[in-house]
Amino acid sequence: MADDRPSIEEILAMARSQDGDSGGPADTSEPADAEAAPAAEEAEAAAETPEETPEAKPSKPAAPAAKPSGVSDILAMARSQDSGGASETPAAEEAETPEETPEAKPAKPAAPAAKPSGASDILAMARAQDSSGTAETPVADAPPAKEAAAEDDEPSSESPASAGDGSRPSVQEMLQQLRQTDGAGQAAGPVSETTSEKPMPVRPAAPEAPVAPPTPGRRSVLVALMLAPTQLIATPFAMAWTALTAACGAMVLGLARFMFPNTLVEPPMTFKIGPPSDYPPESVSTKFKAERSIWIVRSTMYNGQDQIVAISTVCTHLGCTPNWLEGEQKFKCPCHGSGFYKSGVNFEGPAPRPLERHGLQLAPDGMLEVDKSKKFQEELGQWEDGTSFVSS
Amino acid sequence: MQVDPFIDPHPNLTPAVLQGLGWLYLVLCAMNLWWTIRVYREDKHVMVPVLNIELPRATFWALYTSALMIVGFMHVSWTNEDYIDRFPLVLEPGGPFQTAIDFVVANPVTYFMISISGTIAVLWFRKFLVQPTVGWILLNAAVLFQALSMTDYDFRQIVGKPDNVPIVALLYLVGGFTWLYFYKAVENDRRLAEWDGEGPIPVLENDENEKVLVWPDLVYSELICMIAITTLLIVWGIVLEAPLEEPASSAKTPNPSKAPWYFLGLQEMLVYYDPWLAGVVFPTMILGGLMAIPYIDFNRIGNGYYVFRQRAFSIITFLVGFITLWVAMIVLGTFLRGPNWNIFGIYEYWDVHKLEALNNVMLSELFYLDWFGQFFDMPSYGNDDPMGKKVSMILLRELPGFAVIGIYFVALPPLLAITCLRTFYQRMGYLRFMVFTQLLLWMAALPLKMVLRWALNLKYLVNIPEYFFNI
Repeated sequence: MADDRPSIEEILAMARSQDGDSGGPADTSEPADAEAAPAAEEAEAAAETPEETPEAKPSKPAAPAAKPSGVSDILAMARSQDSGGASETPAAEEAETPEETPEAKPAKPAAPAAKPSGASDILAMARAQDSSGTAETPVADAPPAKEAAAEDDEPSSESPASAGDGSRPSVQEMLQQLRQTDGAGQAAGPVSETTSEKPMPVRPAAPEAPVAPPTPGRRSVLVALMLAPTQLIATPFAMAWTALTAACGAMVLGLARFMFPNTLVEPPMTFKIGPPSDYPPESVSTKFKAERSIWIVRSTMYNGQDQIVAISTVCTHLGCTPNWLEGEQKFKCPCHGSGFYKSGVNFEGPAPRPLERHGLQLAPDGMLEVDKSKKFQEELGQWEDGTSFVSS
Repeated sequence: MQVDPFIDPHPNLTPAVLQGLGWLYLVLCAMNLWWTIRVYREDKHVMVPVLNIELPRATFWALYTSALMIVGFMHVSWTNEDYIDRFPLVLEPGGPFQTAIDFVVANPVTYFMISISGTIAVLWFRKFLVQPTVGWILLNAAVLFQALSMTDYDFRQIVGKPDNVPIVALLYLVGGFTWLYFYKAVENDRRLAEWDGEGPIPVLENDENEKVLVWPDLVYSELICMIAITTLLIVWGIVLEAPLEEPASSAKTPNPSKAPWYFLGLQEMLVYYDPWLAGVVFPTMILGGLMAIPYIDFNRIGNGYYVFRQRAFSIITFLVGFITLWVAMIVLGTFLRGPNWNIFGIYEYWDVHKLEALNNVMLSELFYLDWFGQFFDMPSYGNDDPMGKKVSMILLRELPGFAVIGIYFVALPPLLAITCLRTFYQRMGYLRFMVFTQLLLWMAALPLKMVLRWALNLKYLVNIPEYFFNI
């Protein structure tokens, strides 16, 4: 069967050759023809490599095949092939499409009986032929199915096109295009097996839908509720899911526990930094930078008053830690070059706003006390706040 | 005189440096030996003007190769430390050469001008530059420049830093691949100009279009490349040790603090733009814009082969965007940005206390104080004012910036559609053209903002620190 399958190149070649005479076949029904036109354009766009076209042409003769004229002809042919088809590789085919064979079998006896009612029957029949091993005439048995499907006015004539099994997606797409291109009559050639067998497995699946159970009484609901937990370990599959859910839940709980440590090693937000006399006028103290991320600045620069402030060491541009440059009397950020005056006000580089202040108060014992839980932003006017500085 | 680390902690020359440079010169010598043989086989002659005799061109290359060999052996054999300060081939500290180069590259304005004019020059003189001899001379010049500069201590510190070695390789690779592209594109341009439209398109790529098999041809090549790259990485990992620094501390940022080299273009953008723009919006626009290129491109020709004329606009846009706005920014960030993110020349000592006077201003300040100070007062508000007044005052204050940005992004696209990009508009249609111009304007926003920063010391067009909104 694998040998019968067309390679991608053959399909492309066929698409190209059919693209050439897509308007041709006489027995093409009208709507199908209308569909074929845009599809042909698509095929043309897909196969644009011009130098390959001549090479592809010779493969065309594979396409044309005997065209039966009606449903009865198809049936006759199906029957004769059914009975007389000398199977060359039936085992191989059945092995590769095991799930289709049982479904196809019932269709076979139906075929001799009277007339098939629609495209689906014919398709099933074609598939039955297929499974009974008419491997030497794969070209011949495809067109009946195709034609009948197209002549039938049901929308189901489109169904082969929608067969997207995913087994060979690229080939499927090309096949679909090919089918649209050749309208109704042109032979699908060696690809017929795939076209006829693909849509079928879907259909019989429907009746197997679970039937709604009878409405339970009050007591049985209670029993069901009590027995419900046992469903969690009823099958290995359920047990696996239950175990996974439990493990994930335990992990989340552990994570939540992690957020509340027994001891907090970070220093308290409120701490004392010594008396105001430690900070001479116009000075910047960097001694708390490493441990507390603050500078203690005493300056008259901001508004003329002699203030002691605690300035945060986080650059307002992107959060790096600037350095205090004593010689230049400025804070300078090493990441993008933002510069701040001693007062913390930005003046160069990309920082959009001044450095932030932390709370600073004179404790009752005469020591300066920093409160890092508070922050004061100049651009919001918070530097006017009395707890953002200590006057000296 | 022996080099005493206590007397001179920054020696320009050490025996190790001379050894390394010697081998570099010898490698260059070997490369030129190959080139000389190649030229000799071509058997072309050239007239020497003064002597009035005809000599094979290979003569000059042979002379140059011999000189390289002498220089190489001189480096390798100069092992006596006592005489190391008498070594002749060294850049004298503070010489005119270094001063001139430092002056040019240590200024963002001149640096940017050089990178953009260099790109334009490459585009303009491409037919001259793609001659193999010119390409070879450029390669030699680059290696000689680097080798000679290596005798400078500060240059060596920057270029020889293990972090920066990939950037040096990147410079050669970008140059080489750009040259290769233009070499093929110029040839294809020439062929297409002579083509009469009959038969298959006569590009270089069609000369050898024989197909080979994936297995074994491609897979074997890939295997060999894989082994070669792995070997290179292992050797690199052993020879150039990872630069280990002190333990990380949230309170101490290295100075300068550099992003990984491939992000230095972004870091350079961050100097000019607010973090949410340079760190979020711009990268998104770059990625989205690159992905949108196939949908914007309406040019149906020039696919599948190297060409310049058929895709001139796309290629110029790409080269300016990639070389000037990305590679040049990486080079700037790697080699020129030093402590405090100041710009230093390549031969300049990284002085932490280098002073660069910058006093950046906002557009609103320029507008209300400098330019139209006699007509308007700067809108201001008090802390106790109601919310509505605050917001309206902020908006009024930033009105000039919003107007500039509105004109740039709203008024410019239609203007371009009826003027210089008229054919583009006709061929692209409304929606595609709007997407295209927006992307183009975003791309141009970076150099424009840089120019504004240098020309006007402008920090932000719109500055609303109250609500973390800056443009």
